[in-house]
Amino acid sequence: MNIIKRELRSHLRSLLIWCGSIIALIAIMMSEYEAFYDNPEMSTVLDAMPKALMVAFSMAGANLTTLSGFVSMASVYFYIMLGIFAVIIGSSIISKEERDKTAEFFLTLPVSRERVLFGKLIAAIINCILVNAVTAASLIVCAARYKPDHEFFSFMGLLMLALFILQLIFLSVGMFLAAILKRYKQSGYYSIAILFGAYIISITIGLTDKVDFLKYATPFKYFEAQYLLNHGELEVKYLIISAVIIAAGLFGTFYIYPKRDLHI
Amino acid sequence: MTIFLYELKMYRKSIIIWCSSISGMMFMFMAIYPSFAADASLMEMMLANYPEEFLKAFGMAGNLSLSSVLGYFGFTFVYIQLCLAIQSANYGFHFLSVEERELTADFLMSKPVSRRKIFISKFMAAFAALSITNIVVGLVSLASVAVFNDGNEWKAVNIVVLISSTVFFQLFFVSIGMLISVSVKKIRSVLAFSMSLSFGLYILNAMRGIFGGELLGIITPFYHFEPGYILEFGRYNIEKSVISFAIIFVSIVISWVLYSRRNIHSL
Repeated sequence: MNIIKRELRSHLRSLLIWCGSIIALIAIMMSEYEAFYDNPEMSTVLDAMPKALMVAFSMAGANLTTLSGFVSMASVYFYIMLGIFAVIIGSSIISKEERDKTAEFFLTLPVSRERVLFGKLIAAIINCILVNAVTAASLIVCAARYKPDHEFFSFMGLLMLALFILQLIFLSVGMFLAAILKRYKQSGYYSIAILFGAYIISITIGLTDKVDFLKYATPFKYFEAQYLLNHGELEVKYLIISAVIIAAGLFGTFYIYPKRDLHI
Repeated sequence: MTIFLYELKMYRKSIIIWCSSISGMMFMFMAIYPSFAADASLMEMMLANYPEEFLKAFGMAGNLSLSSVLGYFGFTFVYIQLCLAIQSANYGFHFLSVEERELTADFLMSKPVSRRKIFISKFMAAFAALSITNIVVGLVSLASVAVFNDGNEWKAVNIVVLISSTVFFQLFFVSIGMLISVSVKKIRSVLAFSMSLSFGLYILNAMRGIFGGELLGIITPFYHFEPGYILEFGRYNIEKSVISFAIIFVSIVISWVLYSRRNIHSL
């Protein structure tokens, strides 16, 4: 319990900065919706567009004039932001003991390394949930004046669930890397490289259909907002893949870290 | 000079990794171009039947088309810019804060060199490291467009202008990073700062691209040095890039003042 409290306090400042920036970004973004909201001209234009064109612009089923469609267009950026947050907190929450030269201190305390890890994991997950909740809340608050319908709220529920799973994936990857790599600096660079690589892969998939098989390699493609919007559910196969990645990451962390030499 | 050379040596590995990964990424993107161009030109034939106002509403008129080689190159160069932004922000947050973080400040400060000299040498070393990256990126850009242009015409001059703009693009992130690192008490994790700065500004510009609205783009160099604009007209978007120039200048001056009177913590 002490460990959880201590970790929560030490991440409080960065959590507040993140939440503040997310709220500001969403507020500006939703104010742009004004141009699309209740604009009959815009919806006739969109209705007149041929189906093929909509598919090509991946706007099928989701046009910008509906609130859910508008949010879904921006969803990939929420995935990236919260993904970065999760991967950074995952790798730093473990490696910071070595970086700040406090590893020596916490090893002398009468708690096992597993207990420490568990406390850190809980603290990191609480942080992720808070960021997620702030994202959802600010989206809903900013959307309130556009009279959101029932469909919007169920879409938001799904989107936030997908975001949370994505956060857990990156959190476990970050923790795993921090646990296995010998030097604290490396873990940060490797986890960022993985996140950036995943993003570039998802871009490449959009450019050509020859590398479709790579979609399993990038979590950004697991829960595409278009799919959530059209089908109203998360795809089961990706849920399984995510569960496997999360479980493997956490298992590796809890297996390797207690046995590892700490750099003091 | 000793500090400059030492710093540059510390950057060596990082420069090699960044250069090779950016070059690899660019080759990969350009290798896709021939197959992409075929699809895109089909769609453009379809689009040609629509009235111009209609296309304008969707931001598809007047710009370089995606099927042209420079249009596609500009589209993918945004991701190269993102890489350069991360690298520059990393260096910017790193080089003034590292001594305090790794407890080598005592050693450096006891040497007979002034703070100002340290500042200049470190800044020039970071700038040199970034310029090396920039030169490599420029050469690779020209080479990959030359190899994968699929027989389409392209203007090398516009690419050279674009590469010249990345000097300021990099300086933007270095100077902001520097400014923040001397304004706060201690930078614990460089990556957390640099990732938030570079991705944050990138996402602002990406959202501006989707939803429109100048407000979203006003502070982001991704918009000031938009590759699409530079490649189409072969010149900078002066009204926009002035904002970046001003931010660079102000940040460097303030960091210089703050660093020379900074209270540096020792052991």
